[in-house]
Amino acid sequence: MNYIHKAAKLVIGAVAAMGIFAGVSSAQAKTSIVSFNGPAGEAYIGKFIKGIKATAELNGYDIKVFENQFNQAEQDQQVQQVLAAGQLPDVFIWWPSDAVAGLGSLRALHKTGVPVLKINQLPNEQDKKYIFGYAGPDDRLRARNAGYMMREAAAAKKAAGGKGFNVIVLSYPHSYGGYGLSINAFKEAIAGSDLKIIGDVDEGFGQANGYKGAAKQIAKSKDQGIDFVYGMDDAILTGGIKALEEAGYTMGKDVIAVGTVCNGDKQLIEEGKQFGTTLQSPLHEGQLAIKLVGEFIKTGKLANYINFTPNPAVTKETLNTTALRGYDGKLYGINELCSGAWSD
Amino acid sequence: MNVQTPTLGIGLFQPIVSKLTRHSSGLVVAMVVLFSAVFLYGAFTAPNFMTLFNLKTVIRDAALVGIMAIGLTFVTLSGNFFLLSMKETAALCIIAFATAMSAGYGFEISFLFSMVIAIAAGVLQGLLIGLGGNPIVVTLGAAGLFFGIGSFWSDNLVVSFRRPHGAEWLGTGSFLGLPNITVAFIVIAIVAELALRYTNFGRQVYLIGANRAAGRATGHENLSMAIKVCTIASVCSAFVAIAFAAQVSSAHVNYFSSSFGSSGDMTILVIATVMVGGNSIMGGYGSTIRSSLGALFISAVDNMMVLHDFNSGPRVLAVGLMIVFSIIVFALINRGRRVQE
Repeated sequence: MNYIHKAAKLVIGAVAAMGIFAGVSSAQAKTSIVSFNGPAGEAYIGKFIKGIKATAELNGYDIKVFENQFNQAEQDQQVQQVLAAGQLPDVFIWWPSDAVAGLGSLRALHKTGVPVLKINQLPNEQDKKYIFGYAGPDDRLRARNAGYMMREAAAAKKAAGGKGFNVIVLSYPHSYGGYGLSINAFKEAIAGSDLKIIGDVDEGFGQANGYKGAAKQIAKSKDQGIDFVYGMDDAILTGGIKALEEAGYTMGKDVIAVGTVCNGDKQLIEEGKQFGTTLQSPLHEGQLAIKLVGEFIKTGKLANYINFTPNPAVTKETLNTTALRGYDGKLYGINELCSGAWSD
Repeated sequence: MNVQTPTLGIGLFQPIVSKLTRHSSGLVVAMVVLFSAVFLYGAFTAPNFMTLFNLKTVIRDAALVGIMAIGLTFVTLSGNFFLLSMKETAALCIIAFATAMSAGYGFEISFLFSMVIAIAAGVLQGLLIGLGGNPIVVTLGAAGLFFGIGSFWSDNLVVSFRRPHGAEWLGTGSFLGLPNITVAFIVIAIVAELALRYTNFGRQVYLIGANRAAGRATGHENLSMAIKVCTIASVCSAFVAIAFAAQVSSAHVNYFSSSFGSSGDMTILVIATVMVGGNSIMGGYGSTIRSSLGALFISAVDNMMVLHDFNSGPRVLAVGLMIVFSIIVFALINRGRRVQE
């Protein structure tokens, strides 16, 4: 009887050990990722999170996402929590709320020996030694394409005998990192054309702030004449277009609007109230991040240190024919790629 | 018990001026004169500030925050401090409205749907506050609850409804050259002030706000008052949400949040408006007209600074300074009044 008991215990122990071993080995085989980023409540980031989660799942990776409410102090705390827990992932994905203020946390992540991929905000001189690469949008390319689109619209206006090439800019807050890159690239793109910037207002992100900023800028620049408006993103521009319409301007005729990011209102382009936008897909950004993680895990390095998501220009004419292939191999239409009011 | 209600229109300034001269120290008078001088200098030297078009812009800019501030004033006057859930209530209601609109229910049903949610939100908070809950804690909790529901409901996506739609008249329409949202702000400001001054309910708001014990002794419990004022504030938030959704034909839970820019957080801006208007944070003293003027004043200063080419940083600073200034001046005035009494 005793032998039977002992034999049974041995068998159970062996099975349990095998199970534990199998579990451990499978856990070891599965690449784990921790991503630090903004809140899913923000439309763009919400789609980005969906992108990284879906692509990670597709690749068989474990991913844990830590969201902060655009608050570097909160993100710093999350970093400390992850480090204190002691269970380090294979890769960190780092989208700092504030790249400069968050440098300490990035350094702490780097010190663990776990590779860090920075996303969304271009690396600067201070942080590039702590990361193995960058994935995300190119603020400069996006703004440059918007500038070229506006040049094109201005040239068409001139050819048709139109007059007036004054531009107002509805900006990101001037304290935001993307502002400098966007405004400089836009200015470079329109340099040498008839276009002339006569005003630049920063009220904040989103439609409501776009409306408020534009309303004040209209009051200021009305006498000079407003002929073009550049929105640093479409959400801001959507509010700006409402303010211009309320002030009596006919969009597309009196004022030509160009935006970026495609996070505003698709119908404005369909109606001809907005000349165009430059596409920036949060879905692509998420997918690209995971693709680069895979590349790094496999080869120990990236083919390119800087990796941009595509930013093609989209106008009324190309609205329904624009599509991009995702890093998962699928073809995505514009409604899936954009993050604002773009679904029918 | 000291229950005061200011007079309407031009009469509003009369008690302020007389109080300044009768009750206030030289310091207060100097501060007000200095501030007024800076404001007037800025206003008259800003290009296009004094044009009709720009003045309409100032009022329109103040409208959304002003309507919310009017609702919140009822809460503050009744001695229930502030609702820290103003923007989250608006976030939930804008999602409700846009979801109903996008499902094709039309303006009227979508409006009612959103308002029912606002009333439920107001009643819930009022009930908890009236039963003794701390207004700050209750409304912080409610803020998380409402935002979470809105976020979950919309899956954090923008909910849009195509133009033309039945809500455009509210969002982009105008009446006698004024945007309908501006007209709504003016009408709501007048109706709210009349309700406060000439109805039993209005008098009870002041009574309970000034002295809760006296209110209880005369049969006016804070429970029903808290429910009423919280509901008014929530309904005002919902109206702003609907008007904004009608303007941009879409909704997102974050439409009233901004971590950057001069507008900052909507709830904070609404509280700032009530404070700058000079309403007593302890209740019992103030008016909705004061809050409306607070909204106009903040809007005017912000507008003037944009015309002077200030970016968002200094403008945020200006709003902060206005709150501090307002608190100091009104505190000194009230202290002077109490000393004389």
